[in-house]
Amino acid sequence: MKIRTTQLSIILWFTLLIVISILTIGALSFYFFSDTLRRNSLDNTNQVVMQLNRVIDNYISYMDNISLVVISNNDVQNYIREDNSDQALLSFSSTPNPKIVMRGNVNSLFQSIISVRKDIDSIMLLLDNKTIVTDHPDDKINPYAQWPSAAKSALNGSSLSASLSSSHVQNIIAGKYPWVITLSRNVQDVKTNQHKGVLLVDLNYSVIAGLCSEIQLGKSGYVFIINNEGEIVYHPRQQLIYSGLKSEPINQLKNLPNGHMTAEVEGREVLYTTNTSLYTGWTVVGVSYPSELFYNRFELEYYIAMIAISCFFVSVIISYFISVRITRPIEALRRSVRAVEGGNFDFDIPTNSTDEVNGLAQDFNIASRKIKDLIAQNAQAHEQKRKHELKALQAQINPHFLYNTLDSIIWMIECGEGEDAIVMTSTLAKFFRLGISKGGDIITVKDEIEHLNCYLTIQKMRYKDKLDFLVAVNPEILPYRTIKLIIQPLVENAIYHGLKAQDQKGMLKVVGYQDGNDIIFKVIDNGIGMTSEELADINNSLPTSKDQGGVGVTNVRERIQLYFGALYGVTFESVKGEGTVVTIRLPVLTEDDL
Amino acid sequence: MTREGRLVLMLAGASLVLAIAITVVFRVNAYLNDGTGNKPRIVVVLKSIDYSLAFWQTVKDGVESASKDYDVDVSILGPLSETQVDEQIRIMQNSLLDKPAAIVLAATDFDRLVPVAKQVKAAHIPLVTIDSFISSTDADTKIGTNNYQAGRNAGAALLKYLVPGSKIVIISQDRGSSTALDRESGVRDFLKGKAQVEETFYSSNDAKIAYNQTTQLLGTDMDVKGIIALNDPTTIGAAQALKESGRAKDVVLIGFDNSLTVLGFVESGVVRDTIVQKPFNMGYLGIKIALDLIKGKRVEPFIDTGSQVINSQNMLLPANQQLLFPITK
Repeated sequence: MKIRTTQLSIILWFTLLIVISILTIGALSFYFFSDTLRRNSLDNTNQVVMQLNRVIDNYISYMDNISLVVISNNDVQNYIREDNSDQALLSFSSTPNPKIVMRGNVNSLFQSIISVRKDIDSIMLLLDNKTIVTDHPDDKINPYAQWPSAAKSALNGSSLSASLSSSHVQNIIAGKYPWVITLSRNVQDVKTNQHKGVLLVDLNYSVIAGLCSEIQLGKSGYVFIINNEGEIVYHPRQQLIYSGLKSEPINQLKNLPNGHMTAEVEGREVLYTTNTSLYTGWTVVGVSYPSELFYNRFELEYYIAMIAISCFFVSVIISYFISVRITRPIEALRRSVRAVEGGNFDFDIPTNSTDEVNGLAQDFNIASRKIKDLIAQNAQAHEQKRKHELKALQAQINPHFLYNTLDSIIWMIECGEGEDAIVMTSTLAKFFRLGISKGGDIITVKDEIEHLNCYLTIQKMRYKDKLDFLVAVNPEILPYRTIKLIIQPLVENAIYHGLKAQDQKGMLKVVGYQDGNDIIFKVIDNGIGMTSEELADINNSLPTSKDQGGVGVTNVRERIQLYFGALYGVTFESVKGEGTVVTIRLPVLTEDDL
Repeated sequence: MTREGRLVLMLAGASLVLAIAITVVFRVNAYLNDGTGNKPRIVVVLKSIDYSLAFWQTVKDGVESASKDYDVDVSILGPLSETQVDEQIRIMQNSLLDKPAAIVLAATDFDRLVPVAKQVKAAHIPLVTIDSFISSTDADTKIGTNNYQAGRNAGAALLKYLVPGSKIVIISQDRGSSTALDRESGVRDFLKGKAQVEETFYSSNDAKIAYNQTTQLLGTDMDVKGIIALNDPTTIGAAQALKESGRAKDVVLIGFDNSLTVLGFVESGVVRDTIVQKPFNMGYLGIKIALDLIKGKRVEPFIDTGSQVINSQNMLLPANQQLLFPITK
């Protein structure tokens, strides 16, 4: 759609704004949420591995203490001191062989420890003379097993004084191959400090395995333990490691005693969190999969997408209705204006929409009505003009005047006053010719005066001595223009209403001159005049009984005002019994003004 | 309808369609990934479910570890004895009825399990064979020890201790399984021209029978210098007999597998070398590869889980400890 309407703009921008806001908020929330999850998970994993190490430390420490107790135990010391080779034990004697007794005591000691702690697989005292005492008196030595002559050195800088092995198979006892973690300690005669042998405390591997396998790090996460030499102490899938089906970045982890690192394994991101115990030297490694953290990531993305689409949907619809409410009144306004252009003024705009458009509509309605009124007024004025002209036209025919004059002419002819008849006839002809003036409204002042003169000539010939007239018009104003049929009707008025009623000779004077930008005509008679009421009436254009269907005062006044405005017109002055002066005021109109 | 009205209707309609499309994609995705749709069920049919046989116990551990790691349902079935071929065939046919997602099979007989294997393939169920395979090509893949190579390794191990041309007896466990057949060919092929290999004894996978056969052999034949026992019970029987005969010093016994009993004999030297397989890996990979097949991925036709020569010198190396003494859950 190429043409951009306001409506379209509103819809597009509104919708765009909403959707971009939602998506931005969604993306930001998603990012921050994801980030927070990661941090929390890292924290959590840190806690877990640290905790596990502490538990293990406590456990080993406990075992260490047991081993310390054992080597300093009296029974043990006594036993190691004497020659306790099997030869000695086998010597036949009736009294209980003290060696056997001592050995028995050590046995009992070991057994009592074992019975209390099920997690100890065995306690073994291996003496340099190749004798062994264990918790189980019937245990036989595996002749093919390697004999530990001295305990390996303990971990540097640790308070653990025993030597801690990695997990391994113990094969010292014939026929048994348990998985254990061995705590070994040198045994000395406390009196002489002579090295006598080694004490081994074998911890069940299943204890450590149990502790570690309980740890849940997400759905697929786990922990494993390596010692300070990088040997695996525990791993939930140890078999896979050695057969190469699985591998852990041991080398890198050895260099990261306390911290975390990420790697990519089989396309998945893996997080390794480490914690190393200063006591055991073991490093607990927590393995977790960050993708599992955000296990409902897809759900969240889905919901954000759904919300965005819903908002899009809703905003499109709402913005459509908003835009409609804005543009529809404007459209209506436009239609109204069009209608008015077309001349239809009865179109009222409904004003029930937004305030701005409302005001505009109201103003438009008012303007429209005003135009309508003006046009009506104009039409009316035209009407009036036409009516008046019609009347004037009618008056031009002036039946009274016409047949009176024709009578006079006939009478003159019958009386043999042929010359007068000719004059009267030609004057009458000229009178009507000037009155019609080829249909135009505007004539020269000269023609208007000519027209008047014709009338007066005819009236003089009829009334003879009874009427006297004088026309004195300044020749300068003769070229000006005027509307026709304004002076003669007033003079006619003056004759019939003013002069005819009186007995004495009537005197009629018509003057015309320029007064500034106006021209003034005055019709002065010495007739019967008017009373003040009559005067008032006539000046206010109120109908009087004196109007007899001719072109009255009103007609002349109104025509003048119609053409020239309210400043001009006809005014009367009169004194009852003395006479009347009618003043006609017109603007100066030259040929150029028309 | 104004132009703008139509545009709005189009946009609203488009967003509705988009919403539905995304929902559908999401639901389908969730169903596939989450596994709240059904977990695939895999049936494992072993040669024997006698778990006193350490080998199969370890295979079972491998299977169970993989089922946890890969989140699948697993049923472990099989006859009580490795020689109960008909029973195994019946178990296979029963399993077919439940339409499992895949079947993992350790065949008790090289030839006789072929028809039921064809039935499995006809039902469009992926078939993985582990340890002992079938003669046809119906299985999608074979996972196990390269028994022929293992046989050759056994021959090589024996020859290390003997002079060329020595008299050698092979005691095999059965006449029919691919394991036994391949190992024997491996031994014979390697020793051809290097040693004098006598006729093979068959222990029917019974230590007692192997014991009797060995006792008799050692009692009657003074020239025999070497014995190769091709599997665990056979090795146990032969070793016991050799130990009791007192001739352990001059007759070299090479065995297979790593039950505690065998290892005891290895430690004491009665069994000079034993060829150890990786049953845990077989079980584990069986499930892993079966899952790959279910997902439509391509797999190798043969996956060699490998074998290791173990003796008293190397048996306590950390890597070997894991192999010989598998930690059972």
